[in-house]
Amino acid sequence: MRLKASSLEALYALLLLLPFLFTLGVFFLYAFLRAMVFSFTDYNLFDPPRWVGLANYLRLVQDPLFLTALKHSLAYSLIVTTLQTLLALLLALALNRPLRGVTFFRTLYYLPSVVSTAAASLLLLWLFQRTGVVNQGLSFLLGSLPFLALGFVLFALVQGLGVAWWRRRGRALPLLDPGLAWVSLALALLGVYVLVQVGWVRPWEVRVDIPWLTTRTTFLGLPYPLWAIILMNTYTTIPTFMVILLAGLKGIPKTLYEAAALDGASPWVVLTRITLPLLRPVLFLVVTLGLIGTLQLFDQVLFVGGAGGAPLESTITLAYYVYGNVFPPGASPRVGLASAAALVLAGLTLAVVLLQRRFGVGERGWS
Amino acid sequence: MKRWLLLALTALGLAMAQTQVRISGWGGPDTAVVSGLLKEVVQRQLDRENIRVVYEPIEGDYTQWLFNALSAGTAPDLFYVDIFWAESLFATGRVAPLDAYFSREEVQAFLPNLVQAFTYRGRLYGIPKDFNTLALIYNKDLFDEAQVPYPHQQDTWDSLEGKLRQVQTRLKDVAGLCLVADFARFGAFAFATGWKPFDAQGHTVLDQNFRRAFEWYTGLVRRGAARFAQDLGEGWTGGCFGGEKAAVAIEGAWIAGFLRDKAPNLRYGTTFLPLDPMTKRRGNFVFTVSWSLNAASKNKEAAARVLKALTSPQAQQWVLERGLAIPSRKALAQNPYFQRPTKEAELNRVVFLGSTAQGGNVYPFSFRGLGGDWMRPINEALAAVITGQKSVDQALREAQAALDRLTGRR
Repeated sequence: MRLKASSLEALYALLLLLPFLFTLGVFFLYAFLRAMVFSFTDYNLFDPPRWVGLANYLRLVQDPLFLTALKHSLAYSLIVTTLQTLLALLLALALNRPLRGVTFFRTLYYLPSVVSTAAASLLLLWLFQRTGVVNQGLSFLLGSLPFLALGFVLFALVQGLGVAWWRRRGRALPLLDPGLAWVSLALALLGVYVLVQVGWVRPWEVRVDIPWLTTRTTFLGLPYPLWAIILMNTYTTIPTFMVILLAGLKGIPKTLYEAAALDGASPWVVLTRITLPLLRPVLFLVVTLGLIGTLQLFDQVLFVGGAGGAPLESTITLAYYVYGNVFPPGASPRVGLASAAALVLAGLTLAVVLLQRRFGVGERGWS
Repeated sequence: MKRWLLLALTALGLAMAQTQVRISGWGGPDTAVVSGLLKEVVQRQLDRENIRVVYEPIEGDYTQWLFNALSAGTAPDLFYVDIFWAESLFATGRVAPLDAYFSREEVQAFLPNLVQAFTYRGRLYGIPKDFNTLALIYNKDLFDEAQVPYPHQQDTWDSLEGKLRQVQTRLKDVAGLCLVADFARFGAFAFATGWKPFDAQGHTVLDQNFRRAFEWYTGLVRRGAARFAQDLGEGWTGGCFGGEKAAVAIEGAWIAGFLRDKAPNLRYGTTFLPLDPMTKRRGNFVFTVSWSLNAASKNKEAAARVLKALTSPQAQQWVLERGLAIPSRKALAQNPYFQRPTKEAELNRVVFLGSTAQGGNVYPFSFRGLGGDWMRPINEALAAVITGQKSVDQALREAQAALDRLTGRR
């Protein structure tokens, strides 16, 4: 019996897909079903699982630590995805211009993404120590406020006088004329230097002593350590998305920009009417990958909580909650509870991605 | 040709007659120690009994690996059990009781508080292989430079604090002690006051004794005798000590290996933790690890023999002489090794004696199967007060509430 060409093709496709289907079946489907079953039991890895119905899910809802983890995961995901997408887009737009040495800058801006999360977390710990760079920088900035204020006043004074003088002589200079501004800046700096030397102005004695990591203090509803992780993660993930967006920008036909230039379109119109609509499939990819990646934040929580000494309530996320319950230090595994939390995380990820697909950036470019 | 075949068959027959016993522990520096011990002591003893030991050290998270392996039925015959999670593991029934394999005399040869640590519901589930306690390690050069007398075993909290403050004042860039917000260190001082982690009902009460230790410990930074470890960029007191950022460390004998690598020429001395000025007692933790037997092992008899060989007097003498760990046999207290005039021998002697009456109120580093969940509220209270974010009252109130929820006190 001879197979039809289409059946043969399907058979080949199946054959080639087999390894992938096997791993998908074993490591995803089977694992997922097992987790689902365990989430309705009190399984502890050793005793046979005992059916407890929805008890694990009810316990989750009543566990303040889980609710904190849920809040942190959602807020973190929303903030980081927004920040990283916007900044990666800005960077990609900048690096897509025909500038001298743009290849060098593309390489330079890509570098942060090759740093491992462990190394990045270590850097974060150094930066945010009480005697670290962030506190020292803030101390320096606040201590220098008298100089900055004086410099600003002198600059405004000199610039104002200069503009007035020129206007009286009949030249209509704008208030912030660049040529004059350089002269005013130089004179203002000189003035500050002289007044400092004379001793009329002194730096303030400011010592910023904020414990950024070992604290439960919050800013805009989120704890400081989580903000530190947000900053760090945004910084290290921007480059990867920048490269993806850059590839998308390269795919937009140049003729469209040329036509827009002939019609005299402003840069804003070009961005909103040509670049962004044609970049939508790539933006969809970036936002979706961003949401999935951020909802699964784990490594930094481990490092900042361990070596950084941050309290668990300040950094915990859903992924860490799951891990912490499967392997609680010094206690018996709570696999049932962890499975329930893992399923909540999976469901949440799916829901967020579907919602963003429905109300956020769509994947179709020309719709 | 025939002769070769015969030899090969004999070798195969011998190999098949041998009983294999798989053993596992954590990797890292332990790998060299156990391999050496097997090669030079244990395997020689076992060769006569036709037992072959297969050693599988585990790099990475050992606890996760062991729990998984025991659950999946692939765990080795013998494995390490740390006192911190021993109770949770013994409660699963996957570890075999050892009472049938060890006589009363054999068990009595080990330090009683270590044996007690691995006794669960009246049955013995592990033979302690070695242990550690906390000691006070001081940098002689820094104390000399600051012209402050060395800490000694009659020091109380107050006299030690005075010395630390003098060092910190005179040397400016050196902390007296670098303080960690960790019950694994602070707990020893709380024990000195007579406070116990659990009362008869299994509840934790942060009473006046606990509060006294807590106020003294957290106040060290404010009073200029210590600095917070995280502020010095370190996570443990040994890190500060090795980098000469602090004059004193509170650690166990594990610090010796670290200092050997990090600061081989550092002149240090060791003494006991200071005494509570009110009770005139000190406190300490016992950190210990046992060899335990897999309940599902097919070679329990052979594994028990391997266990005996691994903890035999010869094996422990071998480990002790290399300065690798503090063995768990009572008889080794009189060992000449401890009297050697070296800094490491002194450290090991003080750590060994820390588990005896000289250690004062000594408790195992174990919290009724609650583990890290139990320590977390206390650690957070320590951090909040040391960094000045909360008052002692507020921090202790919150810690007590969290512990009450955990232990079901309310």
